[in-house]
Amino acid sequence: MGNWERLVWNQRGVLLQGLMVTVEVCLIAFVLAVLGGLALCLVRMYMRPLKPLAVLLTEFFRATPIFVQLMWVTYVWPEIFGWPNSFFTAGWVALGLQSSGYLAETFRAGIEAVPRGHREAGYSVGMSPVLVFGRIVLPQSLLTVAPSIVNQFTVIVKSSTLVSVITVQDLMFQALKLVNVWYEPIEILTATAGIYIGFIFLVSTAGKMLADMLRQRYGLAAA
Amino acid sequence: MFWEYRLVLLRGLAFNAYVFLAAAAVALSVGLIAALLRINRAWPFRWIGTLHVEVFRNAPDYIMVVWVHFVLPLLLGAAIGRRIEFHPFVSAVIALGFVYSGYFAETFRAGIQSIPLGHIEAGRSCGMSEFLILRRVVLPQVVRRMLPEAINQFVSLFKATTIVSLIAVPDLMYQVSMVIQQEMKPLPLYTSAALTYFAVIYVVAGLVRLLSERWRNRIYA
Repeated sequence: MGNWERLVWNQRGVLLQGLMVTVEVCLIAFVLAVLGGLALCLVRMYMRPLKPLAVLLTEFFRATPIFVQLMWVTYVWPEIFGWPNSFFTAGWVALGLQSSGYLAETFRAGIEAVPRGHREAGYSVGMSPVLVFGRIVLPQSLLTVAPSIVNQFTVIVKSSTLVSVITVQDLMFQALKLVNVWYEPIEILTATAGIYIGFIFLVSTAGKMLADMLRQRYGLAAA
Repeated sequence: MFWEYRLVLLRGLAFNAYVFLAAAAVALSVGLIAALLRINRAWPFRWIGTLHVEVFRNAPDYIMVVWVHFVLPLLLGAAIGRRIEFHPFVSAVIALGFVYSGYFAETFRAGIQSIPLGHIEAGRSCGMSEFLILRRVVLPQVVRRMLPEAINQFVSLFKATTIVSLIAVPDLMYQVSMVIQQEMKPLPLYTSAALTYFAVIYVVAGLVRLLSERWRNRIYA
């Protein structure tokens, strides 16, 4: 066990620092993904003239591999848009865009699952379309798709290992750096894999529990 | 620019396809075994199957690829007392195959458990062996039921093959970065790489979905 202590336990500060960066990238990417997904989905469903654009973007984000998108955002966007100006930003932008494509489809399924009568009931008591959407359609569809949203967050965490390639100092980056310092990959990489598996397992279990709790409280237990 | 290097890049895309096919074969066979373990009546088997699924479904592809490439040869080498090294292609196939076997195991399990028990009992009452029931009664129905879900997973697997460039399997992404290092022009190359992947995945996945729907409707309706 001496090796484990020397290579993993004594390096815990660095590894934890990496994990913090991973969490940070994932959270920012997740917020971007939810907002972007919602925007894409709303444009697709309610803004007729812009629909083809939204469909194209959604399909492009969904059908290109995350690694390709990451490289594209990191090295091509600065040339075209002059932004993102740091690798960290490029990392969360790429992760967020990919997931926003998936979430757009998820939200669409959720919104379409809300029965028409609920909307009509809202209109018949004189609510405005915005109010109907915000008070009736959105809350119900969010509850319906809550498990998929949690699932998408774990996908973001898994893909976030790739931002180490563009030198964002996440857990993967720190682990590979330690391997290059010590030339002893067994303990470091096994521990890193264990941390990732444990972390994602925890996140998905906690997320599922939260989603179930919310659904039960607001009366979607049967779904 | 992209056109100039088309031969190298096409060869890279072919490598993506090889990795994909080999990893898909591994994922399907290991996934089926894991699914059968998971629904086994004996609890030790059930635990092994569950552990397999939980570990591989929660593991990021990239760390598994790196782990299989750098750690597994050392462990195996220590076990048999000889230094061994994996070819990057082999590591890529093992890692991606095992990661996706976790997802496929769940798909298989859902498919198998959706088959009514009566079908299996009918097979037993005709005197079929358990293996024959699996092959003749259960699996043909499972394959049809799980196809739409499985196609999504094949798409993810194909997308995941792009990360094998990081352990120097000469796939499309690897060739693209090599050319970029020579030419120093990321804009046209990365953009066309993204568009190529998009076109390939979108068209092939759409076609396969269409064919599978037709096939399902013809036999299974």
